[in-house]
Amino acid sequence: MSSFRVSGRGRVDHTQPIQFTFDGKKIKGFKGDTVASALLANGIHLMGRSFKYHRPRGAVTAGSEEPNALVGTRRGPGRFEPNTRATVQEIWDGLQVNSQNRYPSLSFDIGAINDKAYMLFSAGFYYKTFMWPKSFWDKVYEPFIRAAAGLGVSPTEPDPDHYASRYLHTDVLIIGAGPAGLAAAVSAARAGSRVTLVDENPEAGGSLLSEPSAMIEDMPAWDWVAKTLAELKELGVKVMTRTTAIGYYHQNMVGLCEKLTDHLASPDGETPRERMWRVRAKQVVLAQGALEKPLVFDGNDRPGVMLAGSAQTYLNRYGVRVGNKAVIVTSHDSAWYAAFDLADAGTTIAAIMDTRAEPNGDLVAEATKRGIRIMAGHTVTGTEGRLRIKSVRVNPITGSSVGAAEVIGCDCLLMSGGWTPSLHLFSHTKGTLKWDEERQTFLPDHKAEECEIAGAGRGLWGIEAVLNDGAEMGAAAVKSLGKTSKAASYAVANDRPGTGVSHKELPTDLDAGKARAFVDYQNDVTAKDLRLAVREGMRSIEHVKRYTTNGMATDQGKMSNINGLNIASDALGVPQPKVGLTTFRPPYTPTTFGAFCGYHKGSHFEVTRKTPIDSWAEENGAAYEPVSLWRRAWYFPKDGEDMHAAVSRECRATRASVGIFDASTLGKIEVVGPDAVEFMNRMYTNPWTKLAPGRARYGLLLGDDGFIRDDGVIGRLADDRFHVTTTTGGAARVLNMMEDYLQTEWPDLDVWLTSTTEQWATIALNGPNARKVLEPFVEGLDMSDEAFPHMSVAECRVGGFPARLFRISFTGEVGFEVNVPAHAGRALWEMLFEAGKKYDICPYGTETMHVLRAEKGYIIVGQDTDGTVTPHDAGLSWAIGKMKPDFVGKRGLARPDLVAEGRKQLIGLLTEDGKTKLEEGAQIVLDPNQPKPMKMVGHVTSSYHSDAAGRPIAMALLEDGFNRMGETIYIPMPDRVIKATVTGTVFFDPEGARLKL
Amino acid sequence: MTVLTHAFTPGPIVASGPVKLTLMAPVARFSLRLRAANIPAVSKAIGVDLATTVGARAANGTTETICLGPDEWLIIAKPDDTETLVKACADVYASATHSLTEVSAREVTVRIEGERAAELLTIGCPRDIDTIPVGGGCRTVIDGVTVVLWRDAEQSFRMDIWRSFALHVIDLLCTGCKEFAAE
Repeated sequence: MSSFRVSGRGRVDHTQPIQFTFDGKKIKGFKGDTVASALLANGIHLMGRSFKYHRPRGAVTAGSEEPNALVGTRRGPGRFEPNTRATVQEIWDGLQVNSQNRYPSLSFDIGAINDKAYMLFSAGFYYKTFMWPKSFWDKVYEPFIRAAAGLGVSPTEPDPDHYASRYLHTDVLIIGAGPAGLAAAVSAARAGSRVTLVDENPEAGGSLLSEPSAMIEDMPAWDWVAKTLAELKELGVKVMTRTTAIGYYHQNMVGLCEKLTDHLASPDGETPRERMWRVRAKQVVLAQGALEKPLVFDGNDRPGVMLAGSAQTYLNRYGVRVGNKAVIVTSHDSAWYAAFDLADAGTTIAAIMDTRAEPNGDLVAEATKRGIRIMAGHTVTGTEGRLRIKSVRVNPITGSSVGAAEVIGCDCLLMSGGWTPSLHLFSHTKGTLKWDEERQTFLPDHKAEECEIAGAGRGLWGIEAVLNDGAEMGAAAVKSLGKTSKAASYAVANDRPGTGVSHKELPTDLDAGKARAFVDYQNDVTAKDLRLAVREGMRSIEHVKRYTTNGMATDQGKMSNINGLNIASDALGVPQPKVGLTTFRPPYTPTTFGAFCGYHKGSHFEVTRKTPIDSWAEENGAAYEPVSLWRRAWYFPKDGEDMHAAVSRECRATRASVGIFDASTLGKIEVVGPDAVEFMNRMYTNPWTKLAPGRARYGLLLGDDGFIRDDGVIGRLADDRFHVTTTTGGAARVLNMMEDYLQTEWPDLDVWLTSTTEQWATIALNGPNARKVLEPFVEGLDMSDEAFPHMSVAECRVGGFPARLFRISFTGEVGFEVNVPAHAGRALWEMLFEAGKKYDICPYGTETMHVLRAEKGYIIVGQDTDGTVTPHDAGLSWAIGKMKPDFVGKRGLARPDLVAEGRKQLIGLLTEDGKTKLEEGAQIVLDPNQPKPMKMVGHVTSSYHSDAAGRPIAMALLEDGFNRMGETIYIPMPDRVIKATVTGTVFFDPEGARLKL
Repeated sequence: MTVLTHAFTPGPIVASGPVKLTLMAPVARFSLRLRAANIPAVSKAIGVDLATTVGARAANGTTETICLGPDEWLIIAKPDDTETLVKACADVYASATHSLTEVSAREVTVRIEGERAAELLTIGCPRDIDTIPVGGGCRTVIDGVTVVLWRDAEQSFRMDIWRSFALHVIDLLCTGCKEFAAE
């Protein structure tokens, strides 16, 4: 093993070696390593190239906030993920890792030419440079920029993994299983609450995993973590690791993404890759901790430059020294401890530079004891080294002047600019923040949700302080639930409390305008870019952010926001809170589309509703079309017929003898009660009082505005019982509208509504022989024209099943609709089909239904109407009960614009050549020679080839259409202009003779 | 695992593992709507004291009811009892108006039982299953589809699903069963 791995150290399993590949090269690590820790153990810091300048980059952190070390990971075909953070991805035998955004190789990348030309690529460069000519943007500039800059490549193969989701209800959800979260969980669980504790890492413990020397309750930190987890398990706490709280939504709903298989060498295939949890928590405790800030100086992005706390984590959690010779530069006490741990593990600490003139005396003594050179009041002004840092340039600061430089050799530079409380989830809730002048950071202020913030997340520092705060906040959370809990008090020995100061970019004796001092590593934004944005007039941090893209990368500014704010505030000469903080938005870390989709993919993508007769259609070769959530038989092609041929045949067969059609999807609502007829009078335009039981009527439903909303045939079964049908797509909407009126406007009416759409299978028989096919199966009903005329309904038995039989027609032929209980639908269909064979019965689909009704001028709501069509516009004035005192839409119909002359009205169109079929949706003009843009006066709503009419027919909405009968209008198409004549909408059997038996 | 079709043949769907799914035999099912004043009269007619708390159930022999809303109940009965029930309600209609609408064929019912039955529901149901008492129930949604859930025992549920949505919902439950079995 390499000299960077410290034998026996860390939480990795030194007895379980694991081999993976990085850019094809075999790399060895241990179980428990991340890609980054394993590479660092092998002395590899160079892990990627930056987004814009293609600068060599290494891991700068050890966690999910990593901006630099983004890699592609692969597990066989289809299982490729770009932009995986090397600091998070656990290794397993055979894992394939590849670096990104480099060509031809990571160590030699042609794109790095951008870096030499960096003066060109400052903030706003694209806007200024690629502005003109405008037409070049889409085709030249944008593709070029996108190809040159970027991260990983999108996967191209379908994702073979599956994803899951769950709902979870819990009393207290604790986010973050570090010291604060663990202590909060103990408090809440001891009070007997349902507690859920989540952490994005593979194991709980948080910062305690990087602080093994701390003693909590006289126990080494790691033993205390183990003991606490055992107690939590005993108390029934649900502890979820590898689980990121990605978003905090209204009313304490928190989204969690749990990774289940990405760390496994051979997942079983049934286990989902990820699971999205939608959690409703009565109380939430945010214990997300704090993220370390980089310092901003020239060359602060070179591989080997890393956050000091992360170096401490690599050492203590993974047993990896990040270098042999380290220089520390810090403005916070915490980095001193990282230096001590590394020194004790064998890394030479060349110097600790503290930007503060007088660092803590105890730390100075500890450093001196270890023989470490201390450089108080120093700044860093540059680094050297092509693919890895080899030296750092440092200068003393005296007052406001920067002294002479000294160059110190090193193979890593560990920095700390202090710690930023992690406020992302709190920010999702729209909780307000206040600026803490002393700590130079934003802290939570007013809460918008039922939550507590504990520990370093609200600016506390030191294990003891954080543990005790966690305990208090856990107790506070359960107290809000009416339970009592006494917060435990924790004593910690070997604690490492500390303080620090916050900086803008560090002072330099060189030209600050040439400094490559990075603020946002992932988007390659430098301090200079931020100052330029301010010079160019950006005042709000929101504008500075968008102009420079600072904080807009996939890490959402976890490391760059406060540094960016400090610099913008300095450039503007106003305090930070006046410049503002940008809003964090979900998800907290990049989340796969798969996790969001969950189970909804492939055949389970969306509900496909099928009728009881659908299986017969499938067995008989139906082509389908989707109608709202239903799939409906569209037509039944025979022997290689295309749709046109099949529909022609179905139309002819139905008009010649008999056709059979599955109408089960029609919405059905049972309206029952003494006030049923009054309710119907108020809802529908038609009069219902005089409709006798056993009779049916076409009903038209308007909205308040007077426009057509729905229609359907309605049968009166008894004085107080109606069988209402609606359009297929309108079923739920109509029921909701009716319930709305009933509950809010007319609660006095004694009437109730029940959806019976799925109670009944509905079979329509149409054609001159329809009665002959049906009659032998009907019991208890005289089907003669006198006893059961057109527009009748009866309860009887058909084929031995209880039935509601309608004599109605949507084809212009003699027609019946038989409703039988859904489970009997297919059996009855088969009986009728069998019996109909001697009449050449023809099953037909929705397309033929559309043609047959269009030949008769019957409208389809939603096709011939579009929410702006009145009954008069549609030629349905006859359906309005003019004597009725009121109905929904009556007042709307009296509006001046609805009674105005010249509205768009539904008319028929016949193309002049008698052969051309118009295109549905095509626009109509009166004069095809007028200059463009032409005045469009209407559009085609329905258009079909009609066998019955022997020519194509169409319906259209046309301005003043009723007054244009016989006129010629024009339909301009891309290749020609079509002439058509305005006609009525009935193209076949205008006298309705065929409806008679 | 049995592949269920739209024929909805009763029988086991998932017969082993931590949760079992069974498609139940058809029952007679009615939607009952009425005002509070008429509850005693209609209760007497159907022989069950209708519960007035939403989610509460009341039964008499094989006739079961669940209160789904302030004026809404679902009645489940043996198919053979349909005529008696309809007649009993019709007899009191004049003095205790109400709506009794048969919806026997509207839904199919699946039994969900086994050591992790309650947990299985959490893959699609946003409600807190813990708050549904044994002997209670509710109208809720699973995977976006409205269902009526009956909790018969700690780990035994009936779920009434509208026919055309049933295969979608049962497909999800089957996926969940596989997921559980893999753990």
